[in-house]
Amino acid sequence: MLSYFSNPQRFDQLARVLIPLFGGLALILLGVGVWLSFFASPPDYQQGETIRIMYVHVPAAYMAMALYAALAVASFVYFVWRHALADAAAEVIAPLGAVFTILALFTGSLWGKPMWGTWWEWDARMTSVLVLLLVYLGYMALRAALEDAQQAARTGAILAMAGIINLVIVKFSVDWWSSLHQPASVIRFDGPTIHASQLWPLAVMAVAYTFLAGWLVLYRLRSQALRRRARTLQRQREQVARQLEEAVS
Amino acid sequence: MSPLASIFIREARLAWAGGGGAAGPAAFFLAAITLAPLAIGPAPDLLAAIAAGIMSFAALLSVLQSADRLFGDDHGDGTAELYLLSGVTPVWLVLAKVMGQAAATLWPMPAIGLVGALMYGVPIGPALVGALALLAAIPALALIAGFAGALAAGIRRSGLLIALIATPMMVPVLIFAAGAGRSAFDGDERALANLMLTLAVSLGTTALAPFGIAAALRSRLG
Repeated sequence: MLSYFSNPQRFDQLARVLIPLFGGLALILLGVGVWLSFFASPPDYQQGETIRIMYVHVPAAYMAMALYAALAVASFVYFVWRHALADAAAEVIAPLGAVFTILALFTGSLWGKPMWGTWWEWDARMTSVLVLLLVYLGYMALRAALEDAQQAARTGAILAMAGIINLVIVKFSVDWWSSLHQPASVIRFDGPTIHASQLWPLAVMAVAYTFLAGWLVLYRLRSQALRRRARTLQRQREQVARQLEEAVS
Repeated sequence: MSPLASIFIREARLAWAGGGGAAGPAAFFLAAITLAPLAIGPAPDLLAAIAAGIMSFAALLSVLQSADRLFGDDHGDGTAELYLLSGVTPVWLVLAKVMGQAAATLWPMPAIGLVGALMYGVPIGPALVGALALLAAIPALALIAGFAGALAAGIRRSGLLIALIATPMMVPVLIFAAGAGRSAFDGDERALANLMLTLAVSLGTTALAPFGIAAALRSRLG
């Protein structure tokens, strides 16, 4: 399966179908999700209207983590099978993941102010997400600093794979750390306790975010491949022109 | 002498001769813990409460200080290629290398941590626990700095990049090492658990990081 789609032409054919499909689905689902979360769902009995921040916040946090998982899988595939497409995917996923992480932190902070009375609380989950942002930034900085494309690909893959082990340990250690000094005001959202009228808009928004991320990743992958092909064509044309000039003179 | 022993000794002597040995990290550590009270204020209760945290934080920063030297020079002059061609298992080789540098440069850290904690007004018992935690944290800190250093070897002004890569990985060991000193100061029974967890992170890092460092070293060649 993997090697089947690592052929650039087959990938291009697939991307031509999937890009408009994902894009359309993302837009429709985002529209429905926004309508459900902001107009068609009731305010929370405890949190009032501020519950609506959850519908943009929770899917962003989920995408921040899911995209890191995707980055690690793409890096693993590149590291083991050396598919150039997997590395290109890792390269375009990283900035997207960082943006979703910033979005999650930002909306979380906006939600925290009315709920906990503070913009930032050093609780386990928020701290882990902040560390996740640092991991994304380190990955992008390393890739940007390496000029040789192959070195950047291989070194980035190693760092991304080490990062997933690290993030698991960070999760446990930060839980332990915050249990030493647990603030009492944290509101917990455990899956089953959430009411159906809130679960629906949340689920729609989560699916919409997923398609949005898939759309953006495929779009950027394809435009990167096109850019590379355009550069090769231009180089070929310059070469032909030079040969013609030599032949004329 | 076995190749691993000679690599260990070469690295220790290089660190000793080239960078002032233990003096560099130790002086940086001392400077950091001198500046912290000046920034925070001289209130004795506050300083005693944060002493363990400041000591671990300053230790982390001073380990990062010398991280670009370990693999940067070898990458620049071709020693790294020779190492990989030498037939010595790369995983053992990089472990000997990192530990060689750590042995030469990082040994004063627990002692300065102990004296620093006493200066911040921590009683001798909890200060000793904090110093032990620093000792237990050294392998993890050195290996993580080595991993980041191997990834960024030979990049110009790599220090900042190494710090950015290494800090998220140093989160667990920082939490447990500082937690040991902190809970010892609070009279919490979790001090021992934190100390054990610091040691566990160090052992786990010793088992895993050499593979990462060896792979990183190879990925930066050719």
